Amino acid sequence: MEKRKVVKGTTLVLWLVISSLLMTGCLGSREIDDLAMVMAVGLDKGKEPGTIKVTAQIARPGDVRGQTGAPTAGTGQPIWTASAEGRSIFEAIRNLARYSSRRVFWAHNQVIVINEEVAREGVSEIIDFFSRNHELRMRTWVVVTEDEASHLITTKTGLEVIPGVSMDKLFRYSEIVAEAPRTDMRTLQAAYLSRTTHPVLARVSPKNRQISAKANGEFGSNPQVELSGTAVFNRDKMVGWLSTKESHGLLWFVEHVESRVITLPCAGQRERSSTLEMKNAKFQVKPVYEKGKVEFDVRVKAMIDLVELGCPDVEDQYVWMQQAEKEAADLLRGEIESVLEAAQKRYHVDFLELGKVFENHYPAEWRQMAQSWDDAFEKAQVRVTVEANINSPVLLHKATKSRK
Amino acid sequence: MRDVGELLKERVSTDLADNVCCVEDVLGGNADLIKREFVYHEQRNLTGIVFFVDGLVSPKEIDHSIMRPLTMHTAELERFQHAHLGPQFAEEIKKHVLTNTGILLFDKIDTAINGLLSGDTVLFLEGCGEGFLISTRGWEARSIDEPTTEPVVRGPRDGFTENIRTNTALMRRRIRDANLQIEGLQIGDRTRTDINVAYIKGVVREGLVEEVYKRLQSIRIDGILESGYIEELIEDAPLSPFTTIQSTERPDKVASSLLEGRVAIFVDNTPFVLILPTTFWQFLQASDDFYSRYWAGSFFRLVRFIAFFISLTFPSMYVMLVSFHQEMIPTALALSIAAGRESVPFPALLEAMVMEVAFELMREAGLRMPRPVGQAVSIVGSLVVGQAAVQAGLVSPTMVIVVAITGISSFAIPNYAASFSIRVLRFPLLLASGALGLLGFAAVFSLLVLHALSLRSFGQSYLSPAAPFQPSEQQDLVLRMPIWMMNRRPAVAGADDTRMGPNQMPAPPDEEGEGDESAESRMADEEEAPNAGKGKRKGSRPWRSGKS
Repeated sequence: MEKRKVVKGTTLVLWLVISSLLMTGCLGSREIDDLAMVMAVGLDKGKEPGTIKVTAQIARPGDVRGQTGAPTAGTGQPIWTASAEGRSIFEAIRNLARYSSRRVFWAHNQVIVINEEVAREGVSEIIDFFSRNHELRMRTWVVVTEDEASHLITTKTGLEVIPGVSMDKLFRYSEIVAEAPRTDMRTLQAAYLSRTTHPVLARVSPKNRQISAKANGEFGSNPQVELSGTAVFNRDKMVGWLSTKESHGLLWFVEHVESRVITLPCAGQRERSSTLEMKNAKFQVKPVYEKGKVEFDVRVKAMIDLVELGCPDVEDQYVWMQQAEKEAADLLRGEIESVLEAAQKRYHVDFLELGKVFENHYPAEWRQMAQSWDDAFEKAQVRVTVEANINSPVLLHKATKSRK
Repeated sequence: MRDVGELLKERVSTDLADNVCCVEDVLGGNADLIKREFVYHEQRNLTGIVFFVDGLVSPKEIDHSIMRPLTMHTAELERFQHAHLGPQFAEEIKKHVLTNTGILLFDKIDTAINGLLSGDTVLFLEGCGEGFLISTRGWEARSIDEPTTEPVVRGPRDGFTENIRTNTALMRRRIRDANLQIEGLQIGDRTRTDINVAYIKGVVREGLVEEVYKRLQSIRIDGILESGYIEELIEDAPLSPFTTIQSTERPDKVASSLLEGRVAIFVDNTPFVLILPTTFWQFLQASDDFYSRYWAGSFFRLVRFIAFFISLTFPSMYVMLVSFHQEMIPTALALSIAAGRESVPFPALLEAMVMEVAFELMREAGLRMPRPVGQAVSIVGSLVVGQAAVQAGLVSPTMVIVVAITGISSFAIPNYAASFSIRVLRFPLLLASGALGLLGFAAVFSLLVLHALSLRSFGQSYLSPAAPFQPSEQQDLVLRMPIWMMNRRPAVAGADDTRMGPNQMPAPPDEEGEGDESAESRMADEEEAPNAGKGKRKGSRPWRSGKS
């Protein structure tokens, strides 16, 4: 009897569990093929004042991958782009649903493109929205463009089938040129929330660069997205741009720079040049606080390879390499000084994370200065010392020269 | 005609005709019952009679050890004239005339009938108050074959047969220990199936054998046709999808289990022997693990653990990701999956269920149908389910891959019963993850784990030594450690838990060290040598030192 009761009880519990599982009717389930996967999103100002225009680049999986699953380019449009306006970002996004036959799904978004005008008015609501929403990822790249963001979103760019993925890979591979900071939502939010630092964002712009295979006479007929330069923010408002040279200098402060290409004109013939590649570098900032004055010591130690010797009258390349060390160091120092100049004199904001360094070294002094840090930063003296070591000619032991 | 039950209680009488009557009343109508009358004492014209069941006996044995001695050596019988008809008569015949090795004197008809039905020969002699039950069993049996359900690459190729004696003999061949105990009993009111319980005295945990007997003896059933009957009647968790008793066709597996202190139950007429207590992890072990080197053994076992997780969770993981957590799929993969599903009209859950069922159908069909038709299933299966379904846009290619990998994985689990329970448990997991995503999957998976944790097999935790965790017993769980490291028996065993001597790890002799030593000692010897003379090589050959 006891056993039978236990069996009955177990059956009842099992029955309840099974039916409660089945009666949920697949709560919250949505099939992957019912989703419109956003690959890139652009934010522009709307037509009416106070509105925002959201442009979403959505992948069409059927054309991204062929019937057999292999990528097929050219059979159809791999992306579908739509834009909608609204008084807030969320409203605009919801308005997208008027046109989209599938549920707009944001988790695979690769890049957020912000128009310069929007950026100049302030990005705090963008930061809030994109970090609050659970479907959006903090590792999404954030960039600013002076062009219409919607234009950039619709540009077919890069080797990948989906332009958004191309832009993602552009960022991943950008360390080799080191011309723009790699800014994602997380770093943007961190810089915005930080007491010491102001945000910077990478700059993208369309450039007519692609050579069409069908009409190779028209060089550069198709625009491609270029990643180069930096947008500087004061709190949440964009205040200006940094040039490529200044961006080079900036990257030392905000990222770990290891690779650079340095081109030096030849001593005799200025139109010819040699090229060096930086392989490894150490960057150190040391704050000094004395008698109420803030000073910084910036030290760079770079290990450089000779990759292209274009100067014609080089007798011994090792001697040339020794001579070039100073020139290379000057060039690197010039870049760093230019960005310091831009930060201190032009924009008057600390986006170089120097305040953070200072706080770490002098926490007590920082507490007194925190309120007036931007002033102190402007007046701070920064000494830049660059040491360049050119010690490897890579594979060639002697300069390439005809012996005839 | 009297009732069979009453007849069985009859005692053997001195009147030959009475006894014959009794036997014939019970078994008379059977075509395979053979009765052979003969005269064993010409002078006095005394007759005897043998009964046996044709097909169960070896006629040669009857001829050699019963008929010949009794009819040809009548002269011998003269010696017993004085004892004739006396109480010692049967004993004398047994001792001096019959040459068979197994003879039992009985005085109950019951014993005779039982013996007859198990292949023994019954002999009644006129004027003798007892009958002879003579062991002449010998029937057609399958020879020892390679076990088909548990093949190995390296290891013994013999498997159990349907004959229980052959099976226990295979055990004796492997363990020549006086402590190996093989005890017999019969279960089944009608089948009277021979059951043998084997264990090693001193190794087995105290009380385990008694518990096994207690459970076996409480079985009341008309017939035992296979060890599965026994398994279901004595297991700890009859309602659980997990099997808590291992069955195997491999004698080496049983032998190793016995050495670990487990108990084996042999059942007549089946090659499957039960091993208990059993832990879940035993189902993921194959004999190969222990015969290949430990690197290979550990690798194979890791592969099997992966196969176990794949076959349990892969379809549900896929469904869960595709219909709930698309953000967790890498972008490129998400696009591929979405592209494949573009034309599929069903939700992923239904698609998975349909494919799983199709796979199970093919497996079952492949198992049941006559072998010559086998090709048809593989053609239809691979063509229709694999390709046509994808091309028709009914199933996504990713789903075919998922189901195929799951199927392959489930076959990588060495024990069929265990792979079956995993295969069944896949479905609730699939349903749950299709209904509630990760939440449902986690809930059902936790329920499964909790259930498995609550199981016991003859007093041993089903998931031990993983849970409860026993650090000392991890050498044979996920990895198969070298044999020279596994110097203890698992905790199932009784008091004697050391199974090998110390320092069993082999190593080449330390030649250099020894060489130096001997060279030194030789030099030392040589210094003393001028006086000692004979003791020159003393140091280098210590075993000679005594003689020199």
